[in-house]
Amino acid sequence: MSDPSQNRAGDGGQGAGPAPATGALRRTLRSLTRSTPAMVGLGLVALHVLLALFAPLLTPYSPTANTPDQALLGPGADHWAGTDALGRDVLTRVLYGGQYALVVSFAATACAVALGTLLGCVTALRGGWFDDALMRVLDAVLAIPPILALLVVVTVLGAGPAVIVLAVTIVYAPQVVRVVRAAALGVAPLDYVTAARARGERTLPILVREVLPNIVNVVAVEFAMRASWVVLLISSLSFLGFGANPPTPDWGLMVSENRTAMVVVPWASLAPILALATLVVGLNLSADGLSKAWGVDRVKESS
Amino acid sequence: MPRSPGSAGNPPQVPRRTALLGGAGAFGAAVLLPGCGSSGRDEAPPIPEGAATGTTADGGVLRMARPPASQAETLDPASSLSAYEYLGALYNRLVRMDESGQVTPDLATEWEPSEDGSTWTFRLRDGVTFHDGTPFTSADAAYTLRRIVDPGLASPQGTVLEPLIDPNGLGTPEPGVLVVGLKEPNFEFPALLTSYHCYVIPEDSGDTIGRSGIGTGPFRLDTFSPGGRGRVVANGDHWEGPPVLDAVEMFAMTDIQARVNALMAGQVDLVSQTNLDFATARVVGASERATIARSVNAQWYVLPMLTTAEPFTDPRVRRAMKHAYDPRLVIDVALQGTGVVGNDNPVPPDTPYWTDHALEHDPDRARALLAEAGHENLRVDLYTSSYDPVFTPMALAYRDSVAEAGIDVTVRNASADSYYTQIWMQRPLMATYWYTGRPADQLLNQVFRSGSSYNETAWSNADFDTLLDDARRTADEDRRRTLYQDAQLLVVEEGGAMTPMFADRLVGLSRDVLNYREYGFEFDYLNIGLRP
Amino acid sequence: MLFYVTRRLLSAVVTVLLASVMVFAAVQLLPGDVATQVLGQDATPEAVAALRDQMDLNRPAVLRFLDWIAGVVRGDFGVSLVSGEAVAGTLWLHLRNTMLIAVATVAVAVTSSIVLGVLAGLYRDRWPDTVISTLTLIGMSVPEFVVATLLVLALSITVPVLPAVVLDEASAPVADLLPAIVLPTVALSVVMTAYIVRMTRTSVIDVMAGEFVTTARLKGIGTARVVVRHALPSALLPTLNVIAMNVAWLVGGVAVVENVFNYPGVGQLMLEAVHNRDLPVLQAIAVVSAVVYVLCNLAADLGAMALNPRLRTGERSTR
Repeated sequence: MSDPSQNRAGDGGQGAGPAPATGALRRTLRSLTRSTPAMVGLGLVALHVLLALFAPLLTPYSPTANTPDQALLGPGADHWAGTDALGRDVLTRVLYGGQYALVVSFAATACAVALGTLLGCVTALRGGWFDDALMRVLDAVLAIPPILALLVVVTVLGAGPAVIVLAVTIVYAPQVVRVVRAAALGVAPLDYVTAARARGERTLPILVREVLPNIVNVVAVEFAMRASWVVLLISSLSFLGFGANPPTPDWGLMVSENRTAMVVVPWASLAPILALATLVVGLNLSADGLSKAWGVDRVKESS
Repeated sequence: MPRSPGSAGNPPQVPRRTALLGGAGAFGAAVLLPGCGSSGRDEAPPIPEGAATGTTADGGVLRMARPPASQAETLDPASSLSAYEYLGALYNRLVRMDESGQVTPDLATEWEPSEDGSTWTFRLRDGVTFHDGTPFTSADAAYTLRRIVDPGLASPQGTVLEPLIDPNGLGTPEPGVLVVGLKEPNFEFPALLTSYHCYVIPEDSGDTIGRSGIGTGPFRLDTFSPGGRGRVVANGDHWEGPPVLDAVEMFAMTDIQARVNALMAGQVDLVSQTNLDFATARVVGASERATIARSVNAQWYVLPMLTTAEPFTDPRVRRAMKHAYDPRLVIDVALQGTGVVGNDNPVPPDTPYWTDHALEHDPDRARALLAEAGHENLRVDLYTSSYDPVFTPMALAYRDSVAEAGIDVTVRNASADSYYTQIWMQRPLMATYWYTGRPADQLLNQVFRSGSSYNETAWSNADFDTLLDDARRTADEDRRRTLYQDAQLLVVEEGGAMTPMFADRLVGLSRDVLNYREYGFEFDYLNIGLRP
Repeated sequence: MLFYVTRRLLSAVVTVLLASVMVFAAVQLLPGDVATQVLGQDATPEAVAALRDQMDLNRPAVLRFLDWIAGVVRGDFGVSLVSGEAVAGTLWLHLRNTMLIAVATVAVAVTSSIVLGVLAGLYRDRWPDTVISTLTLIGMSVPEFVVATLLVLALSITVPVLPAVVLDEASAPVADLLPAIVLPTVALSVVMTAYIVRMTRTSVIDVMAGEFVTTARLKGIGTARVVVRHALPSALLPTLNVIAMNVAWLVGGVAVVENVFNYPGVGQLMLEAVHNRDLPVLQAIAVVSAVVYVLCNLAADLGAMALNPRLRTGERSTR
């Protein structure tokens, strides 16, 4: 990730215009509803949310109860996707697994994007030594391989949803900072910010009133895009054994638990993979749709 | 070849628990049948009971995948970082252990204690030479033992033997005779020399043994790289005769899945020190290339309660935790019904000194004990990890089983990497296991004695310690057995270890491997071979 | 220009230094020290004390860090706390092995993604684009451990044509490792291609809509020539960044894939080092990865300058 692309991202933010009122919102919605991929994406995400919410109503089984006499069954009338080594219904665990994936991914993404947005805006407005120092530090953080950072955080604090959220925030917030900073820089020199400065207003009010509304589109696209990565990352962590505690139904954990048995009970690992992939596809399509609707250049940002 | 002397050195054989084992087998099958169902049985054949035997090809190379002890592993048997698989191939001990837990000859042919048990005399095998051609004598054996008890070496077996062996009491009256003077009488001493840290190395080779691997074993070292690959080749001059194989190649792989994949892809023939989970075992067993062998009762699983941590400081809580669970349910879930009930006693059921004393499954009694201790509706965290595939199912089954007694268990997953530094002996309740194969005396002293280094429950009981001391000093076998059994009784009634079961190790190996035999810490390198 | 390059180099040095300080501090926070970790279940207090002494762990962390920096300046990364061997030698071997995968992956991914990306861009919104974009989306949405696991199942176990795991150790000759890099390369290429294709496609669409392509077309130059001579170089410009980032990612972050294949690369070394609290090895990996990251960025920027005359003179305002 280097500067040229960020400038472009910033230009995109600027292009949306300084007055995001109801008109802009309506335009966005229209653009979204017209795009088939965007609707498919949002539909997939919505479907996952609904399935996770109503999982208890959709299946007669408990996601955690062990029934050893039902272990390792193939798909059948009672168990549509079969059972795993402890006799738990695979479909049930996949349905409940959405709860963990959605809640933790959402929380982690929200934290990373919120922190990144705050720091990005502040550093763009403050400038000077603060900006220089922060950028240097973030450069250093970005230069450390993410997996190393994640492993160290998880090893220091132990596995668990809260630690995962923290670890993901540490890894992704710096990238958000750079994107948001570039977008905010596109806004900050504009006349009305200068004017606000001239009136002697402090940084915070300028931020809240003048800058944030103008980069909300960049932040939203950033959110959708990061979310798709976070879901993947969290599943990778679960796969490596740094995620949810058993018997929590979690997709990454399920793949990890059942992959050796893929020949005997393929659906025990294929079903969570499918669930994971469809959620990420949904998030990706949504991010594409949003960025198109708002004119934010998503592909270039993702570098 | 004379077997070891009958007098006091050899404990009488407790009736082998074939009846019980047979019963357990039948029980396992009964559980398995409905589990597989009619459709399940078509998908994968049941896991074989034993490895294939038969006439092997002459020679051949066995490729073995093994977990590395560390990137700093060594061939020094006394070290805590010894590369386990190499040891049995390269070295011999004075004595080894047979499948029923009896001490049998290796480099020593006979051994006997002095009248009071304070001095042991070992008669050594004639005509044995090390791989470099030097003859094996009592000086080498004395050097080996002196080195193990040297505190500077910090050998794990040093903590066991150092309180017993007097380094100045090691005598070599003739090349074929070793005299070991003890600090205090001990009639169980030879059993403690069956440890895999007690392999005999040449005199004064301590500085080089870690790389040279010079021993008297059936294979000699060709190449070795710590945490990497290595090769041992047949020692034609081995005193038991040459091994069947020409060579064994060893490949270190940290990831369990990588080891299994290598086996399934035909890249290795045997996966060592790896207990496959039941589902994986079925996959391996169903494949054309590989199959499963069982190392019977190879490990005991335990949920140690730290007796120094709340709420387990209260013996009533510990007892309640034991009464509350049904080991059979744990075996059903964690081992698919194919284990042997442990009854909270880690002494393996088919070994000498074992007692069948057990606390019965009684949720009401557990509830009452908890109420008495002021811990109604007890909530506890139970730590587990992917270190071994049975930990988590065992923890989940325990959690289900004790719910009836009003105990609320939360299972927590910890990183496998730091499991034995951050969780073991640190958290009040966790899941772990031990390999069987330690003699009862060593096991009870190492894991349960007050203040011993492996005392994972931090249990301290003076009566128990006294029983062990008395047992070691007792020459009469029956009396000694009674004392050891009384000690186990205390472990069951008062101790902090819940031992739900003994499990077979499910070992993955190629269908071409014949005569694989492994139990405890013994691996038969001599007879293992490949299909012609 | 020269001033700019010098400035970038200086800031790169600062970045690398900061990164190593951070890693050092973070590793100090790791619970348990190398002695207990190395000994594992055999960590009796006596054994731990002996090992700590032997490893010189009893000196203050700051002093050890300064010593280390002094060594690195001389090209000496110290000695592994676990194996007792020089870190530089071990790291170099693992880096070489990882570079083997990285080079192969970049070659495969860049070639295939440029072809696919140009195709998708040229046939925008027609069926080739739809097919390519859908595949790309799937490639981005499946974790690499899934791709790796499926590949092993298909090509090593079901139809055993390629090795499932690498049996060789880090020091094996390159020729011995070659058959083993095929599956890791394929697994990584799938993910990487997916990202670059999107980039290339967008660039091609931008460029093809641009003025000079229209002009070229008006001059009567054929589509193929327009694409190769004009569109492609311009389309490659923004793609450079993505490629640079992916190289850095390959060198620093393929632990999961290396783990699945038991491949003796940097990722594997890193997992072991974290596990063992092997500070010198972790430090060395962090520094080398940071250097690779910074160099890749620098190369991408310089490459962009070389390809795009407009950027050559501009002093960049955002930094």
